[in-house]
Amino acid sequence: MERGCFVIVKYAFSRFLRSLVTLLIVTAAVFFMLRLMPEEGYFAESYDKMTRGQIEAELTRMGLRDPLHVQLSNYLKNTLRGDLGTSNIVRRYVPIVQVIGPKIPYSVGFGLTTIAISLALGIPLGMLMARRKGRLPDSLGSAYVVFVRAVPAAVCFIFLQLYGSSFLKVPMLFSLSRPLSWILPTVCMALGPTANYAMWMRRYMVDELNKDYIKLARAKGMKNSAVMSRHVLRNAFVPMAQLLPASILLTITGSIYVESLFSIPGMGGLLVTAIQRQDNTLVQALVLIFSCVGIVGLFLGDILMAIVDPRIKLEKKGGSR
Amino acid sequence: MDYRQTEIVLSARDVVIKFTLRGKTLTAIRGVSLDLYKGESLAIVGESGSGKSVFTKSFMGMLDANGWVDSGEILYEGKNIARYKTEKEWLEIRGKEIAMVFQDPMTSLNPLKTVGLQIRETVELHRKTANAALTVSALKASETKAIALEILRDVGITEPERRYNQYPHELSGGMRQRVVIAVAVACRPNVLICDEPTTALDVTIQAQILALLRRLQEKYRLTIVYITHDLGVVANVADRIAVMYAGDVVECGACDEIFYDPQHPYTWALLSSLPQLGVKGEPLFAIRGAPPSLYKEIRGDAFAPRNPYALLIDFEERPPWFEVSPTHKARTWLLDPRAPRVTPPPLIARIRERRERREAADDAR
Repeated sequence: MERGCFVIVKYAFSRFLRSLVTLLIVTAAVFFMLRLMPEEGYFAESYDKMTRGQIEAELTRMGLRDPLHVQLSNYLKNTLRGDLGTSNIVRRYVPIVQVIGPKIPYSVGFGLTTIAISLALGIPLGMLMARRKGRLPDSLGSAYVVFVRAVPAAVCFIFLQLYGSSFLKVPMLFSLSRPLSWILPTVCMALGPTANYAMWMRRYMVDELNKDYIKLARAKGMKNSAVMSRHVLRNAFVPMAQLLPASILLTITGSIYVESLFSIPGMGGLLVTAIQRQDNTLVQALVLIFSCVGIVGLFLGDILMAIVDPRIKLEKKGGSR
Repeated sequence: MDYRQTEIVLSARDVVIKFTLRGKTLTAIRGVSLDLYKGESLAIVGESGSGKSVFTKSFMGMLDANGWVDSGEILYEGKNIARYKTEKEWLEIRGKEIAMVFQDPMTSLNPLKTVGLQIRETVELHRKTANAALTVSALKASETKAIALEILRDVGITEPERRYNQYPHELSGGMRQRVVIAVAVACRPNVLICDEPTTALDVTIQAQILALLRRLQEKYRLTIVYITHDLGVVANVADRIAVMYAGDVVECGACDEIFYDPQHPYTWALLSSLPQLGVKGEPLFAIRGAPPSLYKEIRGDAFAPRNPYALLIDFEERPPWFEVSPTHKARTWLLDPRAPRVTPPPLIARIRERRERREAADDAR
């Protein structure tokens, strides 16, 4: 094999550098946008009672009256050191790392469960739909995908929460001590990814099925089942490899809507709270984390794709597809 | 060589193939009868949509899902394979008896598998079925690899050891077509159907691939069916030619007979439109009009509306086969003893003269 590990590592490294650049741009963008927010966002309820002089003094203390480039470089330096600032409203004077830290296990826990369920259901569903294309399983599967994607999540989730809880006799809101209350949020979160995986899988398999090499494989006397497993399935996983990591990572960071709907103390719910209460520093930190995860997901997708698809040219810029 | 005396491998009798398309039924093949003789090279020529591909696909049960053999029989070694329905039945034919080479080598190979693996996969598939007592594991990996390498060498691939581990995208178009041929040959078939094997390749490579196919035909004792619209290709490789038009074979004969003594006006028209046979300075001949719609029932000779030599009966009744020689027959009323004498187009007359002169010269020698 000419494509040794070395080439892959080299490719990964250059991709990594590019991701860093993206990250830097995202960080700066988030930073500048947050500067446009009203300055109340740095004070709790006391803002109304403070005089203009006090406000100015406090803003200067926080470094918000420094020239923008100084602010940006301080912000970057602090971020690199792992200091994301201090929450000013949601939990006043508590370092953001400590605000977010305890939320992570909830989001990751729910996220991983969701992913496991979605992969276990979505991939086989997509395979079934591709194999029975145009017949009943395909129509039912497509109906499900269209339903999930077309009906607004808000409607779908509230419906599930209301009727699901009374039908299954489970609590409407999440509580750590009652495992039964974990069911509905997981179902809600798994709905979307399952539909996505099924749709992707079906689509990529059907794409492969229509290709000429499948005709050749059949013409050489291969059983349909063998053609499916040895050619179609394997090749359909290549485009999947690019999409999966981002999808998985984004699920793990928590669903903004589901977490706030079921009162799960995770990161997604926190973002909603932070925005509602205009806690500028907290919003900034959370948006940064979410974008980081997104970038890492895309990065992993590219690397995975390079590993499974020999056609990607690793040495030069601009792949073959 | 007189094919009448040799063995028939495959025989199609009055084959009718239909498709449903958007609720309508289309008759793609209208009662074609054709015999394939062991060891010969038969070329099926015709324009796009004449049904040459569809016809041969039916030998392998590879018709698209909306198509079926409506009537007629396809006899392969005494079995009527036109009646085959299940995958299990077709697996006895596909690859093992009849293999196929497709038009576009760029898309005919799995882009994610090495060349070697794709050939080996085929070898394993057929060594297993060739000897029921042997299981796959009985044929060691090293043996299948050796066989695969030998086939790569046979199809003229240089450095087979290195190519074995390469992916299709690392090979040129001509190389890939060699690999596609290697995959087909690895099945050890009796009959090889080459569906426009050189259309996607550039001219210099075309000749190489055709030469390769001839060589393999000798070595593996193959019967080859070429499907093509390129009469230039046909002239080089075919022993016999079947000319198809609108889902029917209109003329069939030995290569020389079709080129030097064509009988059907459609064959005349095809030859007249060959650039190689054109006369410098004269505009190249083109067949006027378009082929008939296959959705409608065709009355008489399908070519009649485009045929300047058409007789009235050509619009009424389908012409039967008229024998020109034991190996040459054509479906045109012009061959009926009652038909008026027509002068074929000037080019055809020229070809005939040229041949007569050559024969005379041969005789004199």
